[in-house]
Amino acid sequence: MFGFTKRKKGRKAVVLGLDGVPYTLLKEYIARGLMPELGKLLGAGSLLKMKSTLPEISSVAWTSFMTGKNPGEHGIFGFMEINRDTYEYTFPNFHSLKEKPIWERNDCKSVVLNIPQTYPARPLNGVLVSGFVALDLKQAAYPERVFNYLSGMGYRIDVNARLAAENPDEFFKDLFHTLAKRKEAIEHLYDTEEWDLFIAAITETDRLHHFFFDSALPEKETNPGGHYDKFERFYREVDAFIGKIARKAKEDGAGFLTCSDHGFTPIKSEVYINRWLIENGYLKLDGGEGLTGITRDSRAFNLDPSRIYVHLEGKYGRGPVKTPDYDPLRNELKEKLKDLSFEGRKVIKEVFTKEQIFKGPCAQDGPDLYLLPNYGFDLKGVATRAHVFGTTRFRGMHTYDDAHLFCSEALSLPDPKIEDVAGIISGFMQ
Amino acid sequence: MVQDKEQLLGLHIDRKIEKSKSIIREGLQKFGRDNTALAMTGGKDSTTALWIAKNVCDEMDIKLPVCMFIDEGDVFDEIREFVDYIKNLWSLDIHFLKNMDVAAKAGALGDMVKVSGLNETNQAALREMNFTDPEFEFMPDSTVCNHLMKTLPMREFIIKNNINLMSIAIRWDEQDSRKNDDFFIQRENPEHTRVHPILHLRERDIWISIFKYEIPYNKLYRLGYRSLGARCATGRASDIPAWMQDLENTPERVGRGREKEKMMDQLRALGYM
Repeated sequence: MFGFTKRKKGRKAVVLGLDGVPYTLLKEYIARGLMPELGKLLGAGSLLKMKSTLPEISSVAWTSFMTGKNPGEHGIFGFMEINRDTYEYTFPNFHSLKEKPIWERNDCKSVVLNIPQTYPARPLNGVLVSGFVALDLKQAAYPERVFNYLSGMGYRIDVNARLAAENPDEFFKDLFHTLAKRKEAIEHLYDTEEWDLFIAAITETDRLHHFFFDSALPEKETNPGGHYDKFERFYREVDAFIGKIARKAKEDGAGFLTCSDHGFTPIKSEVYINRWLIENGYLKLDGGEGLTGITRDSRAFNLDPSRIYVHLEGKYGRGPVKTPDYDPLRNELKEKLKDLSFEGRKVIKEVFTKEQIFKGPCAQDGPDLYLLPNYGFDLKGVATRAHVFGTTRFRGMHTYDDAHLFCSEALSLPDPKIEDVAGIISGFMQ
Repeated sequence: MVQDKEQLLGLHIDRKIEKSKSIIREGLQKFGRDNTALAMTGGKDSTTALWIAKNVCDEMDIKLPVCMFIDEGDVFDEIREFVDYIKNLWSLDIHFLKNMDVAAKAGALGDMVKVSGLNETNQAALREMNFTDPEFEFMPDSTVCNHLMKTLPMREFIIKNNINLMSIAIRWDEQDSRKNDDFFIQRENPEHTRVHPILHLRERDIWISIFKYEIPYNKLYRLGYRSLGARCATGRASDIPAWMQDLENTPERVGRGREKEKMMDQLRALGYM
């Protein structure tokens, strides 16, 4: 339709997402000489510590990244929600976003690869390959020729995370293989497509961290996992790739950014909030999967990671809590949860009400309370645990205040948050 | 691209049905009754489209074109019963299509099928989609099975019966990938025209039509199913009848079961749930 108007020369901004890569880890690796390429880039650019979203998980944070909005505006509060009548889990996907991502707002041609919460792929001016949770490559690729390319080159949508516990050696093999395919696809699309905006994410970082973050540093006391050699090899590869893409961006005269959606820290204990609600008389489950067996006298429940919902009458099929009791119940929960401790350490850093952290037309759909834990306490929504505390195969957990943002130009942002990144990208697109 | 999309979506239901009729009439006049086929699934959309086509044919005093039903390997018994029921009710001429080669070699759902054991047509179809693994899982909603069990039989049917016009009951509001579709589009491999007579009907309009014009519907919808596909890939969206659900604010395809299982599997592997 606009074939007669000449498009301006493109290649204005390049963003490399590094899922779950903490600011402090990058600083540490640069200082130790593990990431010389990123180190060199710091000369002209700026590396900042950045805040994630609340909840500090990929689906929410990347949606804020791509829309520049608060969860109360874009409507994504987690990987799952609950059907208010049947209490079965439902899974928001790309269509559930109430705000458009930047590549659908600007009149520009974009390549977008592997950003979580973009499945199934939908048409755009350019190319999109969906990220986690993407189930089927054909539905994850737009347009179809990109599916043909990806399936032909053996693209991997994701690492097989199940291997991490079953067979670590196979997991590492799969991790490096997936990273290699990811890099190959990114470079191919970078070189062969026409674009103004290029956004690609590496998510293998997050997978490695979930299972092996206790191996992130070589020191004995911080490396009980004993897999530091893989971390070093992995981050050297990531660093070389950052350098390569940064050089390409520079040659193209495009701005270059890297950022993460949250940080990571080792797990001291997992904390099962639904179990705590059960033991404290707020929740009863009468069989069924997940929360489907919730009883009519349950007053609150938790969804991953630490989203507490008041079981309100009228809002939920079996909800007993009447509106006048809503605030007193929230206050009671808030006070009790603040005191939750493990081996003498406080578990919860801060309890937020939904009014404090969500703004926008969907804010009401957010959790009534949100718990931000202290480092080391990984809050979980699983409903079937026998104790409040426990450990599993996971060794790393997300952090809220230790995501990173690197920009090839000097940035002065007093308190950077992930929802600011879309604005910075737009700045390059002018 | 349809220019007056918003206007069409806003029409009164009677006007919407008139528009559908005029689309079908236009198709039949251009391509002829004998070169036209109507795809049917036993679901609410294709049944409504069939009812509209039947009315058009009655008005034109011609016999309804041939219908096509694809058995992708895991059909609900309730769908078979329902298709039988409207077949008798409306005296339909239905061709039942099935990729017998794959079905015979698959056995049960979830079985692995060896590519080398399939006939040349199926092997060629897999090469065409760059599928190079030695075997695949027999699961009707997967990309591979979708291609072999649906696309392939439909292609053969079109060629064998000299079909130039294929009517498909997709709707703009059904999913995002449909929203740029047009009433008539040209398709290749094999070359034919697709007509989408109920493109401008919303999910709500389908239920309004069903009750207003007394169009038969599958009893699964009463149980809470909103959208029907292969049995293994379909789940209930809620436990109240489809037409009583919050159609405007909840996704129509939320209940597709196996996708949900796969999703939960991946989330669990990363410690969620």
